[in-house]
Amino acid sequence: MQPIYLSVDTQGVMLYVSCRDIHASLQGVSSMNRFRWFYHPVLIFVFSVIALAASLCLYLYWYIGVSAGLTSVIQKYNLDPSQFFEINTWVVILVLSILVGIILIGVFVIFIYNQKTLQLYRLQRNFINNFTHELKTPVTSLKLYLETFAQHDLSREEQIKYVGYMIHDVERLLNNINRILNLARIESGNYWKEFVEVDLVGTVRQFYQNNADLFRNCEVRIYNPIEKPLYCPINPLLFDMLLMNIMTNAVNYNESDHPRVDIHFVPLKKGLHIRFEDNGVGIEKSEIRKIFRMFYQVGNPDNMTAAGGGLGLYLVQQIASIHRGRVTAESEGKGKGSVFALTLPRRVQVEG
Amino acid sequence: MTGITLKKKILIVEDDRHIAEGLRLNLSLRGYDIMVAPDGPAGLREWREWKPDLIVLDIMLPRIDGLSVLRSIRLEDERLPILILSVKGEPEYRVKGFSYGADDYLSKPFNLEEFLLRVERLLTRAAWNSHSKPTEADLDPAYHVYTFGGNTIDFDTLTTHCRLGRVTLTEQEVKLLKLFIANRGKPLSRSELLEIGWGYTGTTSTRTVDNFIVRLRRYFEDDPHEPVYFRSLRSVGYVFDHDSH
Repeated sequence: MQPIYLSVDTQGVMLYVSCRDIHASLQGVSSMNRFRWFYHPVLIFVFSVIALAASLCLYLYWYIGVSAGLTSVIQKYNLDPSQFFEINTWVVILVLSILVGIILIGVFVIFIYNQKTLQLYRLQRNFINNFTHELKTPVTSLKLYLETFAQHDLSREEQIKYVGYMIHDVERLLNNINRILNLARIESGNYWKEFVEVDLVGTVRQFYQNNADLFRNCEVRIYNPIEKPLYCPINPLLFDMLLMNIMTNAVNYNESDHPRVDIHFVPLKKGLHIRFEDNGVGIEKSEIRKIFRMFYQVGNPDNMTAAGGGLGLYLVQQIASIHRGRVTAESEGKGKGSVFALTLPRRVQVEG
Repeated sequence: MTGITLKKKILIVEDDRHIAEGLRLNLSLRGYDIMVAPDGPAGLREWREWKPDLIVLDIMLPRIDGLSVLRSIRLEDERLPILILSVKGEPEYRVKGFSYGADDYLSKPFNLEEFLLRVERLLTRAAWNSHSKPTEADLDPAYHVYTFGGNTIDFDTLTTHCRLGRVTLTEQEVKLLKLFIANRGKPLSRSELLEIGWGYTGTTSTRTVDNFIVRLRRYFEDDPHEPVYFRSLRSVGYVFDHDSH
């Protein structure tokens, strides 16, 4: 369950009280959180449903009691029942149930919206957290060199070297900005309908050659059992993005002395299966499903060793689904490498 | 003092190559001797071997993060000036950094002139301090004599009075104890213990940690099979805690 976020103020005050007791007071805060369970929206929702059901029962109970009393009064004084009203218990029950049902639906809708808002809030937090590092690092480097240039007269060679760094930083910044913009475009889903039939083996080879500097320390082997081109309709731009994400993950999350990625092509009857096997850090069993979530990053938030946007695999999954394919991850566990398996259909029906 | 003629040594622990190179350039233009370590373990190694006069430390680092590096250094050296340089500039991160023993904290992107002046100032102050020998008072009082339960640990003589009587502790045991005491009540994973306590990373067996814990339990626990102070946490690691006295 997501921890309840405390306002920064309370934490701040507690932390200033005593830095030595930082952990103790933080733990105090978290034990306080345990008593906040009754604030949780699911519980509020359940309580209101129970309250509503109970009130429906009470309405009916009172109604039946009152109408029985009325009937007995009518009988006692020998009045004409039709003079008062036509008592139709079932209609009343029906009407009450419908009204309660409508209220119930209303509560449910509010509950769903509330959950969505919370989810978006979390997403936003994660987004800021993840991209702070990715965006600020190149800016820091740029600022550093610009200030250096302003202060010192460097030799021409040095200038060229550092200007090269700065260009590289601007590219990094641009890449990050593009990733964020692409996310928005993929999310909207309308832009990617042009599919081209291409040979995927060739595409992957080409990708490897184009980005050779990325895989400088990493051995990439491509296996194609039937040694013929394998055609598949893809959107080249998106597919490039997918390859880039899978491959950079394989290279970045690799602590082996000889990083390696094996790409196996397996033709299927109605599609194509591509396995990207690396000898990297692997994935914990419990994490395998979560890694495809937006902004998800392996490890706890306190662990500041990993950097990254938490977007890569989410994009991979989205791109696979735009191709009517799917992507899964397999791993024997931490430190045992991981496999990303992409399945694409040979034909893509694009509606619209 | 020999330090007057020698250049001051600054260790930069920073994984971003460009930033590290830019810092090296500027600091060497100011006449400092610079070493760059691209990740946590390298930083710890250089700190031990190269013995810098000041460390510029990033927080988000591969393998061992900067805060663990900081804690690890502070277990042995309370005086070395350490300046944290991190993209995380919010007060909560600054407070965390200072509570682990940082001397200064700058958030990225930073102003170059300010950074250089802060470095200069930290080194000047460290030079004043180094005229006086480190005294007992410099160390955290908790590191002189520490008591919990019926046990007393004397960090000056490296001995303990525990259920086994008087025992002399090994250097490694003392380090691990300090680490546990510094993180009292906070779970530490096996790999964290290895990295901070031993400076290992990667493939080294975590069994080493387990063996040490068995030893510590034999010293300090009334019943080593039902530990109260050094508890295991399933799939997390270990946590040291005790009632305050």
